Amino acid sequence: MRNALAIAKKELTLYFTTPWAYVVFTAMLGISSFFFVALLQDFRQAHLLARAYGWERLGPDYGAFKNLTDGVVVNLWNTIAVITLFVAPFLTMRLFAEERRNRTLELLLTLPVRPREIVLGKFLGGVGICSAALGVTIIYPITLALFGASESGRALEWSTVLLGYAGLLLWGATCIAIGMFVSALTESQMLAAILTFAVALVWWLLQGVVVQAEEPWRSIGTHLAFSAELSPLLRGVLDLKSVVFFLSVIFFALVLTDRAVEAQRWT
Amino acid sequence: MSMIEVSHLTKRYRERIAVDDLTFSVAQGEILGFLGPNGAGKTTTMRVLTGFLPASSGLVKVAGHDVFEEPLAVKRQIGYLPETPPLYPEMTVRGYLRFVATLRGVGRGQLAAELDRVCQATGTTHVMGRVIQNLSKGFRQRVGIAQALLGSPAVLILDEPTEGLDPIQRAEVRELIKGLAGQHTVILSTHILPEVVMTCEKVLILHQGRLVAFDTLAALGQAEGSAESLEETFLRLTRAA
Repeated sequence: MRNALAIAKKELTLYFTTPWAYVVFTAMLGISSFFFVALLQDFRQAHLLARAYGWERLGPDYGAFKNLTDGVVVNLWNTIAVITLFVAPFLTMRLFAEERRNRTLELLLTLPVRPREIVLGKFLGGVGICSAALGVTIIYPITLALFGASESGRALEWSTVLLGYAGLLLWGATCIAIGMFVSALTESQMLAAILTFAVALVWWLLQGVVVQAEEPWRSIGTHLAFSAELSPLLRGVLDLKSVVFFLSVIFFALVLTDRAVEAQRWT
Repeated sequence: MSMIEVSHLTKRYRERIAVDDLTFSVAQGEILGFLGPNGAGKTTTMRVLTGFLPASSGLVKVAGHDVFEEPLAVKRQIGYLPETPPLYPEMTVRGYLRFVATLRGVGRGQLAAELDRVCQATGTTHVMGRVIQNLSKGFRQRVGIAQALLGSPAVLILDEPTEGLDPIQRAEVRELIKGLAGQHTVILSTHILPEVVMTCEKVLILHQGRLVAFDTLAALGQAEGSAESLEETFLRLTRAA
């Protein structure tokens, strides 16, 4: 474990000494701020309409806008989940590809360290940077809690907000695990990023992809889609099935990475 | 007692045989010069010894441990400088050496002292705070050597350690390696034959993956300091096969 932590620390050092971490933080904050402001405007619009016509006549689509938690934060978490999908490949692409290009993988594999410690260390480093990037987005619910108001009690329902946030972190870790596996397959960082993005995006959209498919496939696709598994968590529903689903994806990605690192020595 | 034992080592890359039935041993405290033309299989052999590549067949033992069966036990005994020094360009020398030392199992309390020791030995003390990508080639090579010395491993495997150094630095590194004899077992690969004469007691010459000579310098007919004749021997052996 000491070895894994040393490797995680090295990864974090490298993220922060290169521009990557700052670029990703900026992108994350910039894009999510844009959506946050847009969501606030929608929220305000909905309330103006509701004041004029009443919630009943606005239809079910506007139901979510009754409170800040469902109207703004949950929608924002969904948006940030998609941003994470775009951002994570840029964080993971270097994890193994760069070590190969730099010939430092030869160093790691000849030090008294088990390959699985290397994999775990790199994963923890990636999760660390991804959580830091997601961490900056907690300012949005805090802003709402400070300046928002509600007709009944507090402005935000913190249990829902924080569970959604935990779901977001779990989703980030999943993206990192998949990206790390892809990075272990190639020497080219660019290729690693593009492949990771392709895999994660198709998996995310799986529900839409299988909508026309025959029956067994349709159910399987619907249940395996990232978007379908993640949305209850982001809404603040603690669905154990989804948690287990994401933890298994992470676990298998780590095992496959370990195998991929090992396999390279044999070619 | 022999520190490194290699018997009937063969390494195949798909169709190509890189190392063919290689057998040799290195006694504790000995410095072995590893010679051969480019592509003779030197680097491959070193990679097998360090556990980076698995052998296709044959047995490799370091300090009594089988490389394949107990890779971690072997890796604990070996300091390795690959052909290209394995450096992280964005890290500082200190950060990099700390990282490697931690993975070598150097305790937190001894880290600073161990870093000082290897930097002193390699003359890198005054660049410790600098970022590796800003260092000259010679200093990068020295940081690579410093990395291999961390934790005082019993066996040092150095793949062309004097590559890219100027003549003064070369002499320094040579002295450093000579000073390691006795406490460390060293395998040193190089293209510079006079260097072998100056630092090694024994020489192993590879050609097209096969062992063509393995003996002490004296037995190969070399008088101390006569690089010329080692060169002749080398050329004769590698041309004949």
